[in-house]
Amino acid sequence: MATTSLSVARPGIVLSARARRFWRQGGIELALVTLVLLAAWATISVTIPRPDRYLPSPLSVVLSSGDLLWKGILPNYVGQTLWRLVLGSLIGLALGIPFGILVGLNRHVSETFYPVLNFFQSISGIALLPILMIWWGTTEKTVFGVIVYTCFFPIAFTVLTGVRSTPLIYMNALRTLGASRLRIVRDVLVPGAMPSIATGARLSIGYAWRAAIAGEMLAGRRGLGWMIFSAQQVDQTAQVILGMVLIGFLWILLDRYVLRPIESDTIQRWGLVQR
Amino acid sequence: MNRARRRQILLGAIPFLTLGTIWQMNAVYGWLAPIHIPPPMAVWGAIFTLQDSCAGLVDALQQSPGCLFTSHILSSLGRVGLSLVVGLPLGVAFGVLAGMHRRLANALEPVGVFANAISGIAWVPLAIVWFGVGWLTTLFILLNTVFWLVFFNTLLGVRGVPRVYENGVRTLGGKRREVITQVYIPGALPSIVTGIRMSMGFGWRALIAAEMIGGDRGLGFMLFVSAQEYKTEEVFLGVLVIAVIWMLTDRACLVPLERWTIERWGLVWRPT
Amino acid sequence: MKPKLVVRDLTHHYPDEYTGEDVHALERLSLDVDEGELAAVVGPSGCGKTTLLNILAGLLPYRQGVVQVDGVAVKGPGPDRGVVFQEHAILPWRTVARNIGHGLEIQGVPRQERERKVGEFIELVGLTGFEDRYPHELSGGMKQRVALGRTLCANPVIMLMDEPFAAVDAQTRITLQEELNRIAIATRKTILFVTHNVDEAAFLGDRCFIFTRRPGTLKATAAITIPRERRIWKDLVSDPAFTRPRDEILELVRAEVRVGDD
Repeated sequence: MATTSLSVARPGIVLSARARRFWRQGGIELALVTLVLLAAWATISVTIPRPDRYLPSPLSVVLSSGDLLWKGILPNYVGQTLWRLVLGSLIGLALGIPFGILVGLNRHVSETFYPVLNFFQSISGIALLPILMIWWGTTEKTVFGVIVYTCFFPIAFTVLTGVRSTPLIYMNALRTLGASRLRIVRDVLVPGAMPSIATGARLSIGYAWRAAIAGEMLAGRRGLGWMIFSAQQVDQTAQVILGMVLIGFLWILLDRYVLRPIESDTIQRWGLVQR
Repeated sequence: MNRARRRQILLGAIPFLTLGTIWQMNAVYGWLAPIHIPPPMAVWGAIFTLQDSCAGLVDALQQSPGCLFTSHILSSLGRVGLSLVVGLPLGVAFGVLAGMHRRLANALEPVGVFANAISGIAWVPLAIVWFGVGWLTTLFILLNTVFWLVFFNTLLGVRGVPRVYENGVRTLGGKRREVITQVYIPGALPSIVTGIRMSMGFGWRALIAAEMIGGDRGLGFMLFVSAQEYKTEEVFLGVLVIAVIWMLTDRACLVPLERWTIERWGLVWRPT
Repeated sequence: MKPKLVVRDLTHHYPDEYTGEDVHALERLSLDVDEGELAAVVGPSGCGKTTLLNILAGLLPYRQGVVQVDGVAVKGPGPDRGVVFQEHAILPWRTVARNIGHGLEIQGVPRQERERKVGEFIELVGLTGFEDRYPHELSGGMKQRVALGRTLCANPVIMLMDEPFAAVDAQTRITLQEELNRIAIATRKTILFVTHNVDEAAFLGDRCFIFTRRPGTLKATAAITIPRERRIWKDLVSDPAFTRPRDEILELVRAEVRVGDD
């Protein structure tokens, strides 16, 4: 492999700047891979016995989506899952962020809580689900409980470490300007924790998404998770695949176009304090 | 052990001691029913209930039905181990290849991103369709998680190895094999170890979930069955075991391994 | 006496990544390096010196011209042409000793003999006592000694050096130059040394090849006749046998830079 420049564009073909970027960022490979996978999927689907059960063709998946959309079921399920995610995450973040900041302010307090936060983070929300099901049965409360729990610990932990790793020099600088403790919290620690808050929020919401799906599956509440679980039980594999594809796309949309931009913007704006 | 460390340990123990005390007091004073919060002794006793007809170490290792407690633990750990043994080399191999060939990376990355976006647990119903309820399903879920995470991190690591290292080895007469084994794999090792750590974290969670929904053995399955029978003490036991296993694996093995690799490579280790 | 390295009418251009236009790096370049000679290549930035070195090393394919080492055309990288890069190309996860012995390891030299040779070269580059250190524990100058040791230990036919002392501080640089001189005397290796620093080129080179600005070609050749053994900085700074050719080279290079500025 040569080190320096090799001609990329074929001589004689003049590409516009956008086309060149598409080519270079792997757009061609993406399109190719998608086509190949779809083709392989369709081929396997028609060659195996009982495709309805094992691998419905892409066409039947699309058709079943049309059916569900028409009946309004699909938007309902998507809405339910998203609603749980949003509400549960908000509660979890609203509890976790202040907790992380407060605990992070004092060195001794943070050292006290660090191990126990770590411990509860090791118990994933999903492992907690059976306990909640014994307590609250298969209710909305159970699923929300799991989501809030799953969201709380990662963000509390991340914010805690973020606050603790604020460089001492910034706080000292403000003290030499005569700032009070409260002022230091307001002007240094909270802004300094913003990048951690952004990253922690993104992580937490990611975990919460998985918890929401799992919670629906096990606690039997209507939603995307429930849809793929129950569809499997009645051999409606097309719906299972449809649900999976939706889950995948929804997450990609949420992560790439909502969460990551917010994270980058926050870090850019507040990234005065490097982790 | 210096003073700071000692203080950290003492302080860190306080919440646990407090919780433990409240827990025991609850058993004595009965604030919440035992079905909600079982007494600590009952949780401890559940070990023996589950192991009651266990004949000994050999019996336990063979996972005979009398030794439920150990056999569930062994099942889960065994699956994790198997997924590492298979998924780790595959993930590293593909990651190195993709790191060296941009086209392959461009082709595989979107597939991986999508597979990961359909988080481990959402794969369970389809896995049940294909493999039925049982160990193959859980293994599949685990492999799915481990492979892609190791792949992505290896890819990242290989990309981060300065090209000049490869050039240096090639001017010493190294061919493709030397370049891969003596430059890219060692160079990407810190990232690979991070990948192992991440895949263990996510994989362990996905395993428990998969065992709950589509398994017939293992800690997740034990949690699910015990919950159905309202045997809260068994559920508590299972949760505690899960937490302890993860903490031991992560803090005692993976984090030191990560730190050793990174520091030896002369980089700066940032705790996460 | 047949020259060790022969370059004839080497022309190289490549399309720029962003504008798509052709960059003419080298234009009909011809030069020879004799066995045991230390030839310095000096010229303004962008004159193609590094391109030449990469072509000689076999890291960059060429289409027009003749490039031969010992009469054999250069096709790809190999241990016959050792390279010391500007950035530290030594592997951070290997100790000093294992880095220096890396070439021999690849060549399959058995362990005992390898360790013996490595010991010799550790001494030669002045790193005794640092065998088991890792690169991140070393200073910039020491890292380059390791790089030097690694290339020498692999016993190449010719050694190519791409501004190896550019990244160290001035004092270390002078020390390393004198070290390289000493090593050149001891090993009598054929060396092609690329630099943009005229003092360095004049100090080290038996002959200096002065390049034009892009497209690079040979502008002039200067011979420094001071014998190697007498090349010590504190003696040379006032020796006209050094300062005169050095000043001429400087003027020639400057002229190229000035033309570029217009």
